[in-house]
Amino acid sequence: MTDVITVDLVDREGGVREALDEGRGATRAQLFRRAIVGGGTFFAGGMLIGGLPKLALGAPSASQDVEILNFALLLEYLESEFYIEAVSKNTIGGETLAFAKVVRDHENAHVAALKSALGSKARSKPQFDFKDTTSDPDKFRATSIALEDTGVAAYNGQGPRLTKATLAVAATIVSVEARHAAWIRRITGKPGYGGAAANYPAPAVLDPSLTKAQVEDAVGKTGFIKG
Amino acid sequence: MSIHQENTHVSHLTLDAVDSDGAIRESLDAVQGDTRARFLAKAGLFGGGAFGGAALLGLTAEGASAATAKSDVAILNFALTLEYLEAAFYTEAEQMLDSSGELALFNKVVAAHERAHVSALKGVLGRKAVKKPKFNFHGTTESEAKFRATAQVLEDTGVKAYKGQAPLIKSNAILEAALAIHAVEARHASWIRDLNGAPPAPTAFDKPLSKSAVLAAVAKTKFIVSPAKKKTARRRTTGATSPNFTG
Repeated sequence: MTDVITVDLVDREGGVREALDEGRGATRAQLFRRAIVGGGTFFAGGMLIGGLPKLALGAPSASQDVEILNFALLLEYLESEFYIEAVSKNTIGGETLAFAKVVRDHENAHVAALKSALGSKARSKPQFDFKDTTSDPDKFRATSIALEDTGVAAYNGQGPRLTKATLAVAATIVSVEARHAAWIRRITGKPGYGGAAANYPAPAVLDPSLTKAQVEDAVGKTGFIKG
Repeated sequence: MSIHQENTHVSHLTLDAVDSDGAIRESLDAVQGDTRARFLAKAGLFGGGAFGGAALLGLTAEGASAATAKSDVAILNFALTLEYLEAAFYTEAEQMLDSSGELALFNKVVAAHERAHVSALKGVLGRKAVKKPKFNFHGTTESEAKFRATAQVLEDTGVKAYKGQAPLIKSNAILEAALAIHAVEARHASWIRDLNGAPPAPTAFDKPLSKSAVLAAVAKTKFIVSPAKKKTARRRTTGATSPNFTG
């Protein structure tokens, strides 16, 4: 999937790494203030997306939850901005544009939920450069497939590292990403998917997961994150 | 045919078939009783039969051979029951439904996936695996409209079921496997929804469903007409290989 989105794009590897380091730095710094900031900032977001009680209560793994949710937030920022720009440019057309509008709204909701859950610990939004992947219909579809497939793999990879309460919330997002992935795959591949199982909306018996490092590498190679 | 009109069936899965209320409950009791009894009887879990499924799920010693929590075994058997149902439904439709084009492709691909999920879960559970119940799909595998509507409900429900259980799973290896299946069910749901003219991703957040709520929903379909068989039962169940002409 990475191959698809690196085509025709300037390699800006390192941008995402820096962005993530920044996120981790902020998290670390803020953790020291956690006792003071307390659960209050988490509470609003927790209510919004269905509750993050362990995070709010500062369970032992809350710091890891913060790190992971900030990782997720970066991916959601990326997706959100990608679809906002594509809809704004308004050149991808037809069913693809209809897809982009719905998914834009979903990714915006994911961003809002994660930001709210993280409160003051939420990382800032980086600058993005999507090149012509938000205007060229073919590149948009290929990129969308890669982003959505990667999103599923990223969430699934982090699932076992989350506290159970946060996992319950993340699980409400990951299946929506999987629905997006299948949807844009169907738009891209129909009617026959080129006869290749790899192009199907559901290309495998099990959805693969990726580690954080693997996701960072894949995103970094796109050059989408300017820092 | 009008796909959009057929969507009105989606939320009405209760079929006017012979009353078999309680079948799913009996099935669940069998699942739990079976698990409970054998949990006590055996110290060693996940024996020789585990390899194939465990390998497919990417489980290593942690998931396949260590002392797995009783609650995880119950969750896996709950998942297995749902996967039995899905696999039998699509396999029967492959034989019974006169479909073509992408709907036929969907049926074929998803049938293979659900059968693989069954094999994987059975492999992980080994001798702890509940036996396949007997199914009656009441014509939903023969009518295209009913097949479309039923597939959509089954997949959406499958997503909710895995989502509801995921935070309850203790073993990380089993959780990884459950999440890997969870996402595939969501892809299936999106695919059949789009084929049906329904929104593939209707909300920004997918809601979970508790085990009892899932079982209640399944019971309303009356698809399960006999309890899951305990290991001592010799009689072969039907469903996948013996379609019922009940439409």
